[in-house]
Amino acid sequence: MSTLTILAGGALALFAVGLYGLLITRNMIKVVVALQILVKAALLALVVAGKASDQINLGQSLAMTVIVADTVVAVIGLALAVQVKRVLGTMDLTELSKLRG
Amino acid sequence: MDEMSAFTWMITLPLLASPVVYLAGRISRRRNWDVGMISHWLAFWALAATWIPFALAASDLDKNGPDTFQVGQIALRLDDIGLLLAGLSLGLGTLVVLYSGPYISPDHGREKYHSLLVAMVGVMMGLGCAHDLFNLWVWFEAMAISSFLLVAFYHEQAASLEAGVKYVVQSAVGSALVLMGIALVLAQTGTLDLDKIRLAADDSNMLLAAGALFVIGFGVKTAMVPMHTWLPDAHSQAPSGISAMLSGVVIEAGLIALLRSLSALAGVTPTWGELLMAFGVLNMTVGNLMALRQTQVKRLLAYSSLSHVGYMLLGLGIALYAQDASGAQGSFFHMLNHGLMKGLAFLAAGAFLYALHVASGDHSPLLISDLSGAAKSYPMMALGLSLAVLSLGGLPPFAGFMSKWQIFAAGFETHNGWIQALVIFAALNSVLSLAYYAPLVNTLYRQSASPLVQHGHPLSIWICIPVMILTASVIAVGIWPGLFNWLSDPAGSALLAAFGLGG
Repeated sequence: MSTLTILAGGALALFAVGLYGLLITRNMIKVVVALQILVKAALLALVVAGKASDQINLGQSLAMTVIVADTVVAVIGLALAVQVKRVLGTMDLTELSKLRG
Repeated sequence: MDEMSAFTWMITLPLLASPVVYLAGRISRRRNWDVGMISHWLAFWALAATWIPFALAASDLDKNGPDTFQVGQIALRLDDIGLLLAGLSLGLGTLVVLYSGPYISPDHGREKYHSLLVAMVGVMMGLGCAHDLFNLWVWFEAMAISSFLLVAFYHEQAASLEAGVKYVVQSAVGSALVLMGIALVLAQTGTLDLDKIRLAADDSNMLLAAGALFVIGFGVKTAMVPMHTWLPDAHSQAPSGISAMLSGVVIEAGLIALLRSLSALAGVTPTWGELLMAFGVLNMTVGNLMALRQTQVKRLLAYSSLSHVGYMLLGLGIALYAQDASGAQGSFFHMLNHGLMKGLAFLAAGAFLYALHVASGDHSPLLISDLSGAAKSYPMMALGLSLAVLSLGGLPPFAGFMSKWQIFAAGFETHNGWIQALVIFAALNSVLSLAYYAPLVNTLYRQSASPLVQHGHPLSIWICIPVMILTASVIAVGIWPGLFNWLSDPAGSALLAAFGLGG
């Protein structure tokens, strides 16, 4: 099995871990962590795709850009977490499901 | 690097203005200068000035065809679809900025609101011009980031926080899925340029998977059922000006991003048209059925956005299936009309929310029953809201009827029994939607005013002017349906050309 196949499989596995984490966790911080794992899987996939198409520089520069954008999203997620804790006094997202229908 | 041309100024101007708006507002507050509205007026003039490069770019596009701006490997290109999105976001954005001056109180951080709103308008114009898959993702993510903060703007309210959290989590998952799709496309074709991908694409399973990832990922932002669950919360909890922007432009920007990415994969499978039609039917049905049981005005309007995305998807699907531009032209026309109608509906509903609740510091939602007899005290707003919902319901002679008619006519011209059945189903859906629009109008024009209306606050002139402009334009488009053809018709043909289907 080539290194690239293993890495691509790793990206898929990471993605699955992130999705699983999102589905089972109800804690706001853990949700942000799970989102980060999802995006890390996508980063790995981008670099692997760059290598597979013989443009490793392109793949890496895409990954750099994603890191920037993704950090901003993480910061917003954490800022919301702080505010949720302040307003509701808890990090539990089950408390945060009043809007329905 | 090329010379800056008109359309790059159109994108750059709001993006440059955004930090200036924030700093000016912040400094004037810190120093206690008595210029409370400075960020509002700066934002308004920045967007007003953007109309100049927009007009230049539009006439340039008309004369010389698409213009490309190259930085290294990345190209921005203004084509007819980009111009349509730019016109829609700039038009609605200018009115919303004007409206939001008195609506957002200074202690809530007016400068943050205006600077993010201006940035969002600029980013959406950039999104329309992206001509590279990854560049498209970057603009898309920037649009999402600026809208996250605006949705959770009332960050001391539990309901706003809930809407914000749902929106952030679902959007972030969607954009991670899009990134996986981009990685698949890059691995398979070795390029990210939309045209080059289309030439290199074959019918491999990898690219089909990439297409599915794009549909799901961008579908979250477009609110395609079943990826729509963030939408009713976000639209009802955001400040009303932002609800208008989200519903009138942001979900359409998601739709355009989806179309752009699928156009690169046009050769992978011929069934994208059928897929869009299927989502269209789902959206219409779920949107209408859910809207029927709402008691909150803004939530009702949010679900009606779902059904209107359904009409657009139906028209686009018909165009791709029949390889004929008329369905896409109808859809883009409906996109513009939906921006006007939903913008009007949310701004008028927001004016009521402001007068009856927000102005007295109350953040409870606006119920339909609160509006009982409101036409007596607020005749202008009641007229605007009534016209908007009747037009959304597709009653002639308003704007909504004209564009729905164009989509349905395109469906009948295919002479395909299944599509004709779909169109009849869509028309019945449109009639069904009157079942929740009509009671709203009825409530507004009741004889006895509710106590809430009797004690309502007066409205500022800056809230009334955008509503009046939108009311006039909804009527005008109904009387002269060709008013926006210069924007929507070339965009429809450009879409077909992008899919490589004649045009």
